[in-house]
Amino acid sequence: MDKVQEEVNRLYKTHFGKMVASLLYFSGDIDLETAEDLVQDSFSAALTAWPKDGIPSNKAGWIFKVCRNKALNKIKEGKRFRTLFEDESFSSGEGKFSESAFDDQQLKLLFASAHPDLSPKVQVAITLKYVVNLKVEAIAKIFGMTVDGVDRLLVRARQKIKDEKLFLQETHLAALKWRLPIVHKILYLIFNEGYKSSWGKELIREELCEEALLMNKILLESRIGNNETAALYALMLFNAARFKSRFDASGGLLDLEDQDRSLWNKDLIALAHHFLEQSKGEIISSYHYEASIAYLHCIAKHFDSTDWVTISNLYLQLLQNNPNPFIELNYAIALYYSGERSKANTLLNHLQQNSFLNHYYLLNATLGKVNLLEGNYKKAKGFFLKTLEQTNFEVEKIFIRKMIDKTETKEKQKKI
Amino acid sequence: MLLIREDIEILRSATERNRRSREMINWVETLGESGNFFGGEPLAAIGRYISKDAVLSDGPFIEAKECISGYISLKAENLEQAVSISQTCPYVLNGTMILEVRPVLVNNE
Repeated sequence: MDKVQEEVNRLYKTHFGKMVASLLYFSGDIDLETAEDLVQDSFSAALTAWPKDGIPSNKAGWIFKVCRNKALNKIKEGKRFRTLFEDESFSSGEGKFSESAFDDQQLKLLFASAHPDLSPKVQVAITLKYVVNLKVEAIAKIFGMTVDGVDRLLVRARQKIKDEKLFLQETHLAALKWRLPIVHKILYLIFNEGYKSSWGKELIREELCEEALLMNKILLESRIGNNETAALYALMLFNAARFKSRFDASGGLLDLEDQDRSLWNKDLIALAHHFLEQSKGEIISSYHYEASIAYLHCIAKHFDSTDWVTISNLYLQLLQNNPNPFIELNYAIALYYSGERSKANTLLNHLQQNSFLNHYYLLNATLGKVNLLEGNYKKAKGFFLKTLEQTNFEVEKIFIRKMIDKTETKEKQKKI
Repeated sequence: MLLIREDIEILRSATERNRRSREMINWVETLGESGNFFGGEPLAAIGRYISKDAVLSDGPFIEAKECISGYISLKAENLEQAVSISQTCPYVLNGTMILEVRPVLVNNE
């Protein structure tokens, strides 16, 4: 790839959303779609101009200047020329395009995405599109949806953002502070999407985690962030510290039990601990509980010496604020390892009664594992076979097949 | 509360029914992650209609095309968000399912 192409690609990745946001911010006459087109055109212009004229020193500034001119022409065409565009601050756009202003624009877009009328999934989708700059195809892949489906979601979301008129006036982010919990949820979900093991070692996944961490950091530094932001940051860092150890050399999935704990990133764990300490305050959010659980996992030297009693208590507290069967499943697992086996079994049986959960692969995988540990190998195999039908991901299927082999060997050993 | 309505014919095939419930649980899992889900069950495709005349019928299940095949309880900020959540359901997106969104009345007294 030649140098110009490389530079433009890099800029596109880092600046596309920011430039779209800036255009929206400076002119109320431009909608999101037009702004995207204009920025797209300006990047193409760079591809044509730079090989001839050389790469300018302020690359982002150059592209934004082209953007601005294109926007001006567009508005003149529509004969809706606004005095806003004669504004000093906008005319001198090139010089003013500083990085801190970029961060600010990005935060504004993030808060715009956190519209309470949109579902969390849609909020995540538009954040990925406009703040992280992912292509629709990539978003579709992440969500396991069709490109068409994602497009349909985005159209509706775009309208919501437009209705906001967030970019028309000098909206101060502080006025949107009430949306902070939604913003937290968006970052949490983006990180989770990236952290899911189902995809194996795919690169895009790690990038999602990095993006979530980056946005969280900007939020922390913006003075809008609060204790919850710090707790969420700690949670993400604790998990990020364990990122690499979840797969073996050939990319196979590893149980927490079998992970090489020496691979856990100690610097990240220390940093996470620092933020967990910092997050202490009056309000204890679900992120506080989850971060504390992650912390206890991270400081345990061995799987067996994990403080399962405290972990199960934390899950119980988490459940009080977020009653949902998926957390109950985690609670049951913690109970089992803390020695409360019959209590754990009762809860697992109860979850099995729910027909939705009965189709949930992680419930059946858990039941398989528990039965394997209890020595009910035939029963365990049955649950694992059920799990196998319930996941479509190859890495998970491989993992479950290994578990099935294990139940068979154990069963044979028992007979001898 | 989301009332799930779908074509009863599709549900008569066991493999199709399983495939659909698997897909639905994947979707419900994402609702669980975002903290929006707190309950729900699929319903069997049999039932009875009961009225004053004590005439028990098989309900709409023989001739009707559509039936309520389950329900999902959601936590949402507002009706709009609940609608928006419903729109992310894969079967709503492909047009083979209708979700009726109804707020549960809460007694504030």
